[in-house]
Amino acid sequence: MTTDFKQTATERLQTGEDFLAHPDFAEVTREIMQTGPRYRNEIGKYGIHRASTCISCGACVDTCAYGVHTRPAGYRQVVRPFDYRCIGPECEKSGRFCITGCPKHALTLDENPVFKTLGDQRWTPDLLAAIWHMAETGRRPPAHLESRVGNSGGGFDRLRFVFPSEPPMADLRREDIDTKLQLNKRKNDARPKVTIDVPWYGGGMSFGSTNIRAQLAKVRAARAWNTFSCTGEGGYPERFIPYKDNMITQVATGLFGVREETIQRARIVEFKYAQGAKPGLGGHLLGSKNTPAVAAMREAVVGTSLFSPFPFHSVYSIEDHKKHLDWIAHVNRTTLLSAKVSTPNDVEMVAVGSYCAGAHIVHLDGSYGGTGAAPNIAKKNIAMPIEYAISNVHQFLVAEGVRNEVSLIVSGGIRTPWDIAKAIAMGADGIVIGTAELVALGCIRCGCCEGGRGCARGICTTDSELLELLTVDWCTQRLVNMHNAFREILVDILYRLGIPSVAALRGRTDVLMHLDYDNEKVEK
Amino acid sequence: MAANDHTAFDRVGALLDGRKEFRPAGNWEFKPQEAEGGCGVTGFACTIPVRGKNIYEPSIQMRNRGNGKGGGIAACGLVPEDFGVSRSVLEESYLFQVALIDPAARGDVEKEFIDPFFTIDQGGIIPTVKDHRDVPLLEVKPPDVARYFVRVKPDVLDRFAVEKNLKALSDREIEDEFVYQNSFRLNNKYYASMGEKRAFVLSHARNLLILKVVGFAEAVVQYYCMENSRAHVWIAHQRYPTRGRVWHPGGCHPFIGMNEALVHNGDFANYHSVCEYLAQRNLFPQFLTDTEASIMLFDLMNRAYKYPIEYIIESLAPTTELDFDRLAPEKQRIYREIQSAQIHASPDGPWFFIIARNLIKNGFQLLGITDTAMLRPQVFALQEGEVSIGLICSEKQAIDATLANLAKEDKRFSPVADLYWNARGGSSTDGGAFLLNVTPEAGGVNGEAPSYKLEITNKFGAPVSTRKGQVHCDFTAPVVISKVNEDARALQTALDANDPSALFGYLQTAIEGMDYNRLRWCVKEIAGKAAAAFGIEVLTLCIDRRYPTGAKKRSSVIVICREGLESIFSSQPLLNGPMAGPFRRITWDTRALLRGPGDGEKTLLIDARGFQPEGDHCDAYLAVDAFHMGWRHIVHYNSRGTRFHAAGFGPATDGLRIDCYDNPGDYLGSGIDGLEAYVHGNAQDQLCQISKRGKVVVYGDVGQTFLYGAKGGDIYVMGNAAGRPMINAVGRPKVVINGTALDFLAESFMAGDPLTGGGFAIVNGLRVEDNGDITALELPYPGSNLLSLASGGAIYVRDPGKTLVAEQLNGGVFRKLKADDWKLIEPYLRENERLFDIRVERDLLTVGGERRKPAEVYRKVMPKSAVKKEELEEEEVGE
Repeated sequence: MTTDFKQTATERLQTGEDFLAHPDFAEVTREIMQTGPRYRNEIGKYGIHRASTCISCGACVDTCAYGVHTRPAGYRQVVRPFDYRCIGPECEKSGRFCITGCPKHALTLDENPVFKTLGDQRWTPDLLAAIWHMAETGRRPPAHLESRVGNSGGGFDRLRFVFPSEPPMADLRREDIDTKLQLNKRKNDARPKVTIDVPWYGGGMSFGSTNIRAQLAKVRAARAWNTFSCTGEGGYPERFIPYKDNMITQVATGLFGVREETIQRARIVEFKYAQGAKPGLGGHLLGSKNTPAVAAMREAVVGTSLFSPFPFHSVYSIEDHKKHLDWIAHVNRTTLLSAKVSTPNDVEMVAVGSYCAGAHIVHLDGSYGGTGAAPNIAKKNIAMPIEYAISNVHQFLVAEGVRNEVSLIVSGGIRTPWDIAKAIAMGADGIVIGTAELVALGCIRCGCCEGGRGCARGICTTDSELLELLTVDWCTQRLVNMHNAFREILVDILYRLGIPSVAALRGRTDVLMHLDYDNEKVEK
Repeated sequence: MAANDHTAFDRVGALLDGRKEFRPAGNWEFKPQEAEGGCGVTGFACTIPVRGKNIYEPSIQMRNRGNGKGGGIAACGLVPEDFGVSRSVLEESYLFQVALIDPAARGDVEKEFIDPFFTIDQGGIIPTVKDHRDVPLLEVKPPDVARYFVRVKPDVLDRFAVEKNLKALSDREIEDEFVYQNSFRLNNKYYASMGEKRAFVLSHARNLLILKVVGFAEAVVQYYCMENSRAHVWIAHQRYPTRGRVWHPGGCHPFIGMNEALVHNGDFANYHSVCEYLAQRNLFPQFLTDTEASIMLFDLMNRAYKYPIEYIIESLAPTTELDFDRLAPEKQRIYREIQSAQIHASPDGPWFFIIARNLIKNGFQLLGITDTAMLRPQVFALQEGEVSIGLICSEKQAIDATLANLAKEDKRFSPVADLYWNARGGSSTDGGAFLLNVTPEAGGVNGEAPSYKLEITNKFGAPVSTRKGQVHCDFTAPVVISKVNEDARALQTALDANDPSALFGYLQTAIEGMDYNRLRWCVKEIAGKAAAAFGIEVLTLCIDRRYPTGAKKRSSVIVICREGLESIFSSQPLLNGPMAGPFRRITWDTRALLRGPGDGEKTLLIDARGFQPEGDHCDAYLAVDAFHMGWRHIVHYNSRGTRFHAAGFGPATDGLRIDCYDNPGDYLGSGIDGLEAYVHGNAQDQLCQISKRGKVVVYGDVGQTFLYGAKGGDIYVMGNAAGRPMINAVGRPKVVINGTALDFLAESFMAGDPLTGGGFAIVNGLRVEDNGDITALELPYPGSNLLSLASGGAIYVRDPGKTLVAEQLNGGVFRKLKADDWKLIEPYLRENERLFDIRVERDLLTVGGERRKPAEVYRKVMPKSAVKKEELEEEEVGE
């Protein structure tokens, strides 16, 4: 049972985003609510055209099961089709096909040519639309969209699960499947055993790169789902404080906005050594996005490009790294420490080194992920693909006897619950998602995030006008919905595999096959 | 090397060709480096041989730079009696040491690599403690070590010379090469080739040995019973391998060259290219670490190319940028040649080498070389006196720990060095390297040990020494009543007036004329008679400030004043003691007594002895608890590298004052927001990282990445900053550096417009001499990069001689100092005057005896992008 988002949110929308004055607003539920797109005409896979021969008989409204055709109460005419909801020619089999149902043959169906221009091989139009659907409905995407894999020809797109024909555990119920993840695995460690309800959390996107409303929504949804979001390296706006229990403070190489108080309020502090999208480069915030508000948060000069250095200037070796972690551990006595690194050739040594230095979480960021601001030469061209890195590091940590002492969190091009499950089966404990959250907010992967006024859809922008394209509540609900759909799908995968928990899936490469190497197993 | 010297080429060719057999069959294939972590390194060179247990302390001090999975030591300039050999055997024979990972390999090794080639003067398994578990923290049993004093048999040598076509070499050179190749073959067979690792050569030098274990460095000395073995030069290394399981010490430092041992802190980015360079010269790393590659490079340039040491250093750490331009033309010509031949083999990335060398007839050498970018911490120190010692360490507290240890067993040592300094890598000023030479000066006939002198020079041969005509204090002498009445009168007057600064004013001039007994008596009187707060203030001023000390070493004066302070500190009551005034004291053993301040209690003294350098059991942690219980003045003393002092107190800590004595460690004052911290001596690395607001005063130098990412704070430094100060700082930090900075000052500075509240740094480019004289440095800022890539803030440099040039600025411009600028910086210079007695009119605005206007003395550097266009045009015409 879902309620309509708009009805409950109206009041909040009117009071703006003053969450500091309304602490109750900080409370968000997991309840899913239908949350339609921000635009009247969302881009869909199919187009439905209504010819002038239409007599507004309303037959299509009665026929369609997907809400493509609607005639609001009091309207004489049927409104322009919401054709992004259309499932295409497959619908004919359902017997509720508007095209054939129209007495005047006024409707035609074709593929939307715009749809094909979206995204890229990794983020295919189908994947984008699938995330949009999940964000709108909170449910798994419809079958006409290929929502499990993209079309990159490698990585997760060549991996498949091998499902038994029948669920192997007859008494396993979906509702008993455990998706919790404990992030502090160190045995002799007095710091809290922080546990999240789903095996993923949100990646760092800085104040400066991303609309503050999108950031707020990310952390609100994280709160609803008892997981985390991350500040990125642009400082810690006060508006995040009501959500501090779900906000990771990032300490990145520019140290922008990092102060003791921001370290002290976090349950997890993340050291960003590198980003998978641009290993060997620091953060880039181009001058045009460095508005007065952004500059004030970073205490820098308005309008100048802010390049973070590529290393931590105080960390050039493992003992420096340990000292660096010790520092944060000294400043915040209860926080967990996460070291985010990219995936160089010796990534397993980096991982075990971070563990030795005291990190609770080793966060590997692979090369498929990406920010608009990463130079094209760096994106996808440096570092090891994440699926190789996961296996390498997992197996190495097992061989070193420390696998159960550290959480291995991975990110970088993990788009869907299917990718999440695959990454865990390869050896990760959990996942950081980033782009998927932005897609849920309407990102079309045009890749114009960094320059000028920023995102035309208002997501990755600091432009005062474009910021207004989003509301916190809408964004929050879209993300809450997406998390729900993700979890549902993940649970379904586990159910079909007969694995009772996410923790038990870790390292189960036996349930995976690779299309290039493993032809005997066939995906069911 | 003269270009037309054919014999030199013949020798190089013969040596390198002679190693052809090392080349693996088929195409050479690069073997990737075994992952290596960072580490801590230390070394010292002394005019007398000192015992192995003295390398303990610095090693223990730097445990947190290793992880107990690799430690090693080298000792050079040994004492023949410790080994039961004659002096001539020690000096002439090769001290060949093989680690037997598999004890059963000994027979095979001897049969194959020793007996056929060598005459042996002494040989056998060296003693160890019975059970390795008796040595603290030593989890893996170290290998048995077989030691032999050997010479190559003459017929073997003759055959070798003919076979390898080495006739262009001297006999000793041929013998060296034989030993070198023999070790390579042994390692290849028993270590580097596929299969079981059974044995490897630890060292094969003359009068130098290397030992290593899977454990901390100090365990080497304990396990192999080296506590009482003596040597002129010791080096040690704490390794931090990141692999969980390490079962043999093959990859540990030091590594052997020919007659030198090298330890390394850092990591090459170009290991591959260095290996290719070596492979082209028939050299192939067997232990797959960049340390081994480093010593191979060194040995190649030393023994094959016979480069003078200056050129070896140049080839490892090339002089670049403005520093290159500042070299004399002839030097530029030579360096250019070296760089074209060698730069692709110059280690790239963060590295710092300490090398112990046997210079054969010329004594022994300890050599510290830092990389061009100065990315590793390093401190040099010198103590000159009846015995002299030079030290090199990753952290200063390790130096002081060594000296304290030595001073305990030999009164000729003092617990504080006379001089501490950093090297500026790849520079035209010191070359980033210092040579600590222990040179024989007299005696040494009839098998007697000669006496030695210590000479320190930089890369270019310029000497480093301390003030002449001063002696250390003999602390074993009893203090007797001083008959000088004026001291007692001055004390009494100041006490009556309760004016500690008046007493300091008296001492400041009186100390010069005092002998040690009078000074010690005086300090004892102050400590004994004055109220604690009074005594602490006077003696702290005596430590902080510089003034003439006459025939006394300043280091000894410091020790005396420090002892006075110690007696005041240690007489203050513990937290459960009787009420006795504003001070309370807490120690490791009584830490559980921590409580808030009672009525009238103002200051908590934390005796850092026994506390850990970081973590839950560190005194910096206790201080945070004390603050939250209400203490607003905290004193840390007896610190030995405690990290995170004055950090972790959280936001809005106005009214809190922290005083740090002795050796506070890294990250001091990081993140401060309102508090004040005073460092009575040198501070270390990462000082005031991300500091927001507050005040830090350092009565000495500061280390690397000072104020990295800072947002604000008023910081005063009496001495120098090391590399990369204020990098990425934003907001409004305001900094006075009275000395200079090594390089990269205020890179990417983003601190707005200083005239409207933004940040700035003042660099005075002065040296406060240890007699109180204040002199201008030759270059107020020698680095090649100043305010590079900055978008905000400004640097005010005291540069009356206009030595700064546009080439040092990357995106910055010089501006004339205007009235507004002076109005902005003058209050900071006044406070600087109050803190350090560096006076605005006398010291800063007077040049060559003449008073100048501020604009004639100070130059402003600011980002070009921050200057209005029309102003820029107007000004540039004027420049």
